[in-house]
Amino acid sequence: MADDLNTPATAAGPGVAPEADARLEDLVAFGDGADPARPAGVPGSYARGDSPRWSPEAIADIQAKAQMGRYQLRGFSTFNKHLPSFDELVFQPATMTRLPLEGYREKCDTQTVLGDGLGKVEEPIVLDMPIYIAAMSFGALSANAKAALGRGARKAGTMTCTGEGGMLEEEREENRTLVYQLSPARYMIDLDHIRKADAVELVVGQGAKPGTGGLLLGMKISERVARMRSLPEGVDQRSTSRHPDFLGADDMTIKIEELREATDHRVPVFVKMGATRPYYDTAVAAKTGADVIVLDGMEGGTGASPELLLDNTGVPTMAAIPAARRALDDTGMTGKVKLVAAGGIRSGADVAKALALGADCVMIGSAAMIALGCNSPRYVEDYQKLGTEPGACHHCHTGLCPVGVTTQDPLLSERVDVEAASERVHRFLTALTMEASLLAKACGKSSVHNLEPEDLRALTLEASAFTGVPLIGADRPFSW
Amino acid sequence: MSALLQGSSAEAQVVTVEAADRPLREVNREIREAVAAGHRVEVVEPLSRHNLAVGLTGEGHVTFRGSVGYYCGGLSAGGAIEVDGNSGWGTGEGLSAGHITVNGNAGMSVGAAMRGGTIHVRGNAGPRCGVAQKAGDIVVEGDIGYSTGFMSHGGRIVCLGNSRGSVGDSLWEGVVWVGGEIERLGIDAVVVTPEAEEVAEVDELLASVGVDGSGLDWKKVVAGQKLWYFEARDAKQWLMI
Repeated sequence: MADDLNTPATAAGPGVAPEADARLEDLVAFGDGADPARPAGVPGSYARGDSPRWSPEAIADIQAKAQMGRYQLRGFSTFNKHLPSFDELVFQPATMTRLPLEGYREKCDTQTVLGDGLGKVEEPIVLDMPIYIAAMSFGALSANAKAALGRGARKAGTMTCTGEGGMLEEEREENRTLVYQLSPARYMIDLDHIRKADAVELVVGQGAKPGTGGLLLGMKISERVARMRSLPEGVDQRSTSRHPDFLGADDMTIKIEELREATDHRVPVFVKMGATRPYYDTAVAAKTGADVIVLDGMEGGTGASPELLLDNTGVPTMAAIPAARRALDDTGMTGKVKLVAAGGIRSGADVAKALALGADCVMIGSAAMIALGCNSPRYVEDYQKLGTEPGACHHCHTGLCPVGVTTQDPLLSERVDVEAASERVHRFLTALTMEASLLAKACGKSSVHNLEPEDLRALTLEASAFTGVPLIGADRPFSW
Repeated sequence: MSALLQGSSAEAQVVTVEAADRPLREVNREIREAVAAGHRVEVVEPLSRHNLAVGLTGEGHVTFRGSVGYYCGGLSAGGAIEVDGNSGWGTGEGLSAGHITVNGNAGMSVGAAMRGGTIHVRGNAGPRCGVAQKAGDIVVEGDIGYSTGFMSHGGRIVCLGNSRGSVGDSLWEGVVWVGGEIERLGIDAVVVTPEAEEVAEVDELLASVGVDGSGLDWKKVVAGQKLWYFEARDAKQWLMI
């Protein structure tokens, strides 16, 4: 009996000339250019590995940690490849059963009011669009970037939020409407500044790293940042995640009353949280007496974060919005407490989808930064110094932003031309609003706030399951 | 009954405000206006209500004839407050100027994140006294609770009594002075020997609130600064966080 293992690896039998044997071997091997020592057909895994578990990234990550003895940090937002995307939802415009509005002619209302629902506030916020610029601190961003965002928002008829680093003179001056953030670290929070705000926001968490406090590395703790945050210059600031003077939601209710007293019931109180258990968290937040709930999905950006939190924590924005809306509906708070959604909103289509899923308003952070100049193809050699290139940069944490947006270096900061950058922000906000209202009009809506889940269909089973939006074709939501 | 003016000259008015079950907004408005105008205010029946005397400005004086709840004097930028009783959580939180005296005990987070002014507790203070404090002074004649001075950025917390655990945890540039015994230091907290002139400054602060701290064996707790920088290779420092 022939044993395969003992059969020589040549096809020719005894008595064949060696040259003929070699010729046959060449033919058998296709001559495909692979390593001659290696059988044809298997070079891929030899050269590239191709293990889905031990990918080059996983191996490099282990090597980095083995060298540094700590987790890795970076800015920007999650790189997790498995998040659902707003691209998995499509609008179903009006056809026979509904009448569209003239997309190029008829008016579609985009005015957005925040803080009016409970009737507790003398001066609710009125925006010309259902979009405003997300909380990004002075410290994470340069003063020029903050000023440009404020001016751009004012031109567009909307607002910005200070972020946790205190209220910058320039941003108060540039913004028409400004939300003042009270993070657990409470940098620069006092009566004088609170009374200069058009809304105050208690931060419970952020989408990029819910459950963990802010992080600002020493490279960005300049003299001015240090003064505003009462920190020694150049230290690595790692903020607390719990507030200093309240713990649970019942205490928070009292805290919110204090803020109303301090502002003489003039301005709305926002509560911002990262999306983790959006249904229950929203229900509890609504019970604290806040006027506005800001829900930040896991695609939300950050100036710096432990990388593992970006990629491994939270709820995607698309899945968080319907859960939060359901909570407000179930507790009878829809219309009374407004819902602002954020995290990974890139376009007017994303804005419209967020509104249709149940948001009253959206915030844009990363997209506004990109409009400012983030990742623009200028100063390419400075991107290269960071080991990256325009379009791929996520090095906000280094403080060496090539375009001056996320830096405290005076020379780099100069690269933000406040007027030009504010104009780009203004035009981008205008374009987003046009896009969202174009979709609304195609769906027959005279206000962007009339967009509803019924206007959407899901292209994937996952998107349908996450959002409750009917699966396209089947016309009913995926359910178990 | 609402604000009751007594006396005739504008400088020497005494205003009586009843808190009881009246709407908080009204009570606070009366207190705020009177203190801003430099008057003396007596609040009767405070009934441990929350958020009394929030957001004060001016040079006036308010006395609570009884205990108060959470955030008494919170976010104030002036005025002098005296609580003739105990106070709840967050007394004087976010204070930027002014003076608060609690004649009894104070709850958790006295002077949280305060940016200026002085808080004086004659009894004991609860946990997290001076948490996230930015500036200003806190004097506690009795004992202080655990995690006093947690992540305090600046200013002084001076305790004449004993401290519970984790005092001075994760400090920035805040300083905790303990006259009695320290149960346990917080993470990255160290006790240093104070300079004579620093002790003199503390004595001056105590004298300004009518307290004698002479003869106490002061322990000055400051940051070890090991947590100030992220690039720490010593795994133990990470585990402390």
